[in-house]
Amino acid sequence: MSNPAATAKMAAKPRKSSARPSAFKLLARNHLALLGAVILAGVIIVALITPWLPLTDPDATDPANRLLRPLTDGHFLGTDHLGRDLLSRLLWGTRVSLAVGISASLFAAVFGSAIGIISGYFGGRTDNVLMRGIDMVMAFPYILLALAIVAALGPGLMNALYAIAVVNIPFFARNIRGVTVGIAHREFVDAARLSGKGHIRILLSEILPNVMPVIVITMSTTVGWMILETAGLSFLGLGAQPPQADLGSMLGEGRKLITTALHLSAIPGGMIFLLVMSINLLGDGIRDVLDPRLKSGALARPAPVTRIDRSKTMTNGNVTDANPNINSGRDPILSVEDLRTEFVLGDDVYKAVGGVSFSVGRNECVGLVGESGSGKSVTALSLLGLVASPPGTIVGGRVMLEGRDVFDMRESEIRAIRGGRAAYVFQDPLSTLHPLFSVGDQLVEAIRAHNRVSYKDAWAKAVSLLRMVRIPNPEQRADSYPHQLSGGMRQRVGIAMALANEPELIIADEPTTALDVTVQAQILKLMNNLRTEHGTSVLFITHDFGVVSEICDRVAVMYAGQIVEMGTTQQVLQQPAHPYTKRLIDCVPRLGEAKRDVAAIPGLPPAVNNLPAGCAFAERCDRADDTCRAGAVALDDLGAGHAVRCLKPMGGEDA
Amino acid sequence: MHVYILRRLVLMVPVLFGLTVIVFLIMSLIPGDPALAILGSYATPENVAKLRADLGLDKSLISQYWIWLTHMLHGDFGRSYSLNRPVLDEILERFGATLILAGTSLVLCTILGLLTGVVSAVRQYGWADKTLTFVVLIGISVPSFWLGLMMMLLFAVNLRWLPVSGMYAIYGGGDLPDLLRHLVMPSITLAVVATGVIARLTRSNMLEVLRQDYIRTARAKGLDERRVIYRHAFKAALVNVIPVIGVQAGFVLGGAVYIETVFQWPGIGRMLVTAIATRDILLVQGGVVIVAASYVLFNLFADVLQHLIDPRVKA
Amino acid sequence: MKSLFKGALIAAALTVSAFSAGQAEAQTPPGVLLVGQIAEPKSLDPAADTAVNDFRILVNMYDGLVRYKDGTLEVEPDLATSWTISDDGKVYTFKLRDGVTFHDGTPFNAEAVKYNFDRMLDEKHPEHDTGPFPLAFFFSTVDKIDVLDDLTVKFTLKEPYAPFLSNLAYPTGLIVSPAAVQKYGKDFGRHPVGTGPFKFEEWDSNAKVVVSRNDDYWDGAPKLDAVVFRPITDANTRVAELMAGGIDLMVEVPPDSLTNLAGDDNFQVYQQAGPHLWFLILNMKEGPFKDKRVRQAVNYAINKKALVDNVLQGTAEVAAGPTPPAFAWAYDKSLDPYPYDVEKAKQLIRDAGATGKEVTFYVTEGGSGMLDPIPMGAAIQADLAKVGLKVKIETYEWNTFLGKVNPGLAGKADMAEMAWMTNDPDTLPYLALRTDAWPDKGGFNSGYYSNPKVDELLEKARTSTDQNERAKLYREMQQIVHDDAPWAFIANWKQNAVSSSAVKGFKLQPSFFLLLKDVSKD
Repeated sequence: MSNPAATAKMAAKPRKSSARPSAFKLLARNHLALLGAVILAGVIIVALITPWLPLTDPDATDPANRLLRPLTDGHFLGTDHLGRDLLSRLLWGTRVSLAVGISASLFAAVFGSAIGIISGYFGGRTDNVLMRGIDMVMAFPYILLALAIVAALGPGLMNALYAIAVVNIPFFARNIRGVTVGIAHREFVDAARLSGKGHIRILLSEILPNVMPVIVITMSTTVGWMILETAGLSFLGLGAQPPQADLGSMLGEGRKLITTALHLSAIPGGMIFLLVMSINLLGDGIRDVLDPRLKSGALARPAPVTRIDRSKTMTNGNVTDANPNINSGRDPILSVEDLRTEFVLGDDVYKAVGGVSFSVGRNECVGLVGESGSGKSVTALSLLGLVASPPGTIVGGRVMLEGRDVFDMRESEIRAIRGGRAAYVFQDPLSTLHPLFSVGDQLVEAIRAHNRVSYKDAWAKAVSLLRMVRIPNPEQRADSYPHQLSGGMRQRVGIAMALANEPELIIADEPTTALDVTVQAQILKLMNNLRTEHGTSVLFITHDFGVVSEICDRVAVMYAGQIVEMGTTQQVLQQPAHPYTKRLIDCVPRLGEAKRDVAAIPGLPPAVNNLPAGCAFAERCDRADDTCRAGAVALDDLGAGHAVRCLKPMGGEDA
Repeated sequence: MHVYILRRLVLMVPVLFGLTVIVFLIMSLIPGDPALAILGSYATPENVAKLRADLGLDKSLISQYWIWLTHMLHGDFGRSYSLNRPVLDEILERFGATLILAGTSLVLCTILGLLTGVVSAVRQYGWADKTLTFVVLIGISVPSFWLGLMMMLLFAVNLRWLPVSGMYAIYGGGDLPDLLRHLVMPSITLAVVATGVIARLTRSNMLEVLRQDYIRTARAKGLDERRVIYRHAFKAALVNVIPVIGVQAGFVLGGAVYIETVFQWPGIGRMLVTAIATRDILLVQGGVVIVAASYVLFNLFADVLQHLIDPRVKA
Repeated sequence: MKSLFKGALIAAALTVSAFSAGQAEAQTPPGVLLVGQIAEPKSLDPAADTAVNDFRILVNMYDGLVRYKDGTLEVEPDLATSWTISDDGKVYTFKLRDGVTFHDGTPFNAEAVKYNFDRMLDEKHPEHDTGPFPLAFFFSTVDKIDVLDDLTVKFTLKEPYAPFLSNLAYPTGLIVSPAAVQKYGKDFGRHPVGTGPFKFEEWDSNAKVVVSRNDDYWDGAPKLDAVVFRPITDANTRVAELMAGGIDLMVEVPPDSLTNLAGDDNFQVYQQAGPHLWFLILNMKEGPFKDKRVRQAVNYAINKKALVDNVLQGTAEVAAGPTPPAFAWAYDKSLDPYPYDVEKAKQLIRDAGATGKEVTFYVTEGGSGMLDPIPMGAAIQADLAKVGLKVKIETYEWNTFLGKVNPGLAGKADMAEMAWMTNDPDTLPYLALRTDAWPDKGGFNSGYYSNPKVDELLEKARTSTDQNERAKLYREMQQIVHDDAPWAFIANWKQNAVSSSAVKGFKLQPSFFLLLKDVSKD
């Protein structure tokens, strides 16, 4: 079991808080949202202290001094058509409008969310009835609904508020219902139900906290809209009642004098704009922070090729591998030298790949093995610049493909290699195939990206590719969409796509992981056959030594962004030198044993944004001592192409 | 697909039926009635009683509704109290005008919104993105009727480039260019907010889609960036934007009320506002039914479109 | 992407240039007058209409038996050349104009007159179903109509009714073509046929009503070739259209725009006081206004001059009593408005012990003749605050407002805005000041004023056929009502209109009708 001292040490180490900066920090980093927050806060503060400001009575008329221009003595913003002070009315009006906007949003949020939660939680008939009702309200032209409500209740700010709130209930109801449906059958809800909690308690204690972010997001987007809409009702004469001022009624009154006294409408109009804009900006910021999909904090568009910035490489103090080209002696088709890829998230730098070197020979299959998070997939993606960027950057190393450094090529040249000389097969083809195009179409695209052939010819080729990967009925299957195929079929399509242009190198990133064992075996067999028939080289990324043993000529084991052991499959499997390799091998299920998981290795790999100075595996290693933790460990050549990054490699005595 | 459309159309019936009941209830809750509205200052109880009898308003609410319903099922929407003509004639005429205005606006906001959103996403954080984001923000932060008035003052009154109001010129008009000239300001004003909403949504959806694995696959195939963005990413983003365009149709139809008032567009929105004010219950009834039906139909259309694009959604 | 963007820009630029090259509006032919209306007409059947807006079109297409003399509210012959009234005031015999035909070519005669009134009044008349005829009650005193010969018709009333002639001059009394009514039935309102100076051409719903010159008009053909009435409901848009040349003439111009346009040589402004009164109904049944002193105090406290000058921008004059000065023959010139006197008002309120009382004030958003009801209400509220009355405003949309005010203010409010435009000095006081006009008795006396002397004077004036006698009675009534102050008398509206300077010969009438026969356009 794990070294208790090590565990204690690890626990004592101040763990850098989550990868993501705090919500507040995120918000503050978004300059626009910050600007919105500042403006809004300013307006709110002024609105709050309005009663104590030395202003004239907003309702005091002075007909003799009507329509004074702004900057007149005693009337900073001038006066309106009854001679009332515009500044005073503006501030009092802002107060009212803010109150209306916020309370209408709250009102709509409370009722709409209640309907949404109940509808989503109970489902069935309740859901049906409630949602048909909501449909009805939505189909009713919203402004007319508001008009009818105001006509029925009489005009007035409160009634306008109800009207606008009612009109907005459907949005909350629909949004919240959607989210609730998504979580109503999740384990924690079922657990709560089994524990005998009542519906109301479950709704309040389990569901509500989980839909709260969506409620807040919806609210932040509706407050501004509500203020605009009250202005609209005032435009139609149904908003605030005189002498009370709200921004909308001021605008409505000013509109009548638009040709004579523009400032009368421009000033409240400007205030509405300022208010709504700041709310929108802040709302966007809040959404970015709260929306789980945007949690990385950077909803940035990945560039077509990973950003390459190798200027820092030289200052990097890490040890480079003494012998980068430990290979079988075959003519290398791909050779990777000291590849370094980093991710920048917030203030943290994640060294996902920290100096990896290996090569793949012609018609050779090299396995890249490691736990998830070891950097093997990032290594694979880095080869042709497919790491999402931002946040990824290639900060060092070279990838030599047939004698040229990929990172020195122009974008168009890289594109020509992608899917041409080198092709990828990805894990989980459900998410890696485009859901909206038929598989035939996606194959045709791959073919036509590199060959000038007609669609028809490409289609024929696509069908033959599907046949080649043993898909039954390829003519019909080509018209299928990914979701209509089984997992194994989909992966065959993925392989067919990779084969489309007869590549010299296939980079297969865990192609069998998502599949069940029999399908896995079929796929492996298929790949093996193809390799022998077409003479293709394969870089095979996996966490499963079982798979490695079936297909790979050589293996490189990765841990925390570095290769810790490399050798022929036989060497590594039979005489693993690194304790980590040994553990990985032990995880492979054997006939008659229950399947063992990779997680059986105690402890967790270190976070790559906080790597230890010494051996990264030391914390989990029962052979480790202080020397292991002292400094970087070099890759040590054991001869015959076998190398290991360990101060205390395991000899035959341990095997 | 046919079965699906048919089912949706059948589902529409209870919604519309419910709506007519709601309209009837709301209209009966509103104080004042058509007789009062017609007579105005001359509304003595005696006169009102007589006119009510003439108009059939002295019957019970339920029997009024029943009469309306049975007539409507025979295609007779009744006669408007305030306009003294068959409700159906008025509605069809007005609805045609609204359809032209709202339709143009919807096309405009869809095209502009998608275009802006895509450009913004592709040029994320570039000057084009920043400018567009700012413009879009202004668009969704300014009351549309106010924008309309300003445009009218500038382009029609001061510069005289465009006509102030109406749908056709009083003289020498009536052709398509004339209609288009009259359409420019109202349709743009009406499209502004929806354009903003669609643009923002498109932008965030594009950004999200561009992070998907299948985009990486497309790139790994060696596709050029243009194809990746406009074929792969855009289509996927569109799937999420289309339902929102459907919802925006409701907003455009609703917002048409303001715009039709400002630009004197002879549309159904303005008609309904007047009809509510004059308590013209049959006109309100007919108008709401047709507007709601068009909203529902448009959403059905949007859903069908979404199904056509997205094979995963079961029709 | 860039090319797409560029393409869109170029397309936009092309569109704009195409539009501006085409110039906004094709020029209107010179003989055609474009009139900005405030709303789409409800119908062009005079018997079915109630709105002044519709009357403005009707009076140009139809004639009545009598009409108002130019610039007054006194009747003169129109389709009837003369008439006699029996001594008991119950029989009116009209001699009709010879040789007049309707626009559809059918002759105008006694049968046509009888047909017109029977259609409105006789429930068994075959075309009675072309109604409803909401203002038919103007003629409800008519017992029967007899055709004496082709050009003589006799009206027999149930009781003497002095306003009968002036009601005939009202648009409800305009004569339509019986043949056309029979032909079009319920749709006559969209296919109107009369005898007037202009004949109907087309009605393009929500866009325009076009009428063209009737060359055979008995009183001389009009100068204009045609008139186009455009409904433009929004006042701002109407003004914008006028400035952009989309209309030549508009009425009901917002006061502030009027001030602006008055200073512009391209436009001409017209004003004309009419039979209009803007007042506050005071609830005399309960609350502080039971006390005459408080009612008078309100009259003193409101700065009417400031209201008409500043809020209404001079589009109205200060009202003195219940009868508008436009009824020159019945108006008491000796009556002065209550002066603006804050101290006196305060004193009266103090004497009545009403200082600091809270009163509820019904205000409407707008409605026929209501001028600027919301700013007016706000200003009045401020004035009354100065003399120690706390006014709470409740605002309602016009129909709701009427629904609240007409059944009486008791239990709901202490005062309410109101405005009336009438065609006879009898109408308003008779319907709104008599004891028998309390809401529960079917009248509009929503403030429950009751003075037996006033009741008696009004009853007498209504049955007298002698105008001088009537005038005397009305003047006496005005003195009493002025002093009793059941209302706060605020303003008499001056109707306004603005035309482009090309329009010549236009004149507003006290009746508020829009007569275009003598108008020309350069």
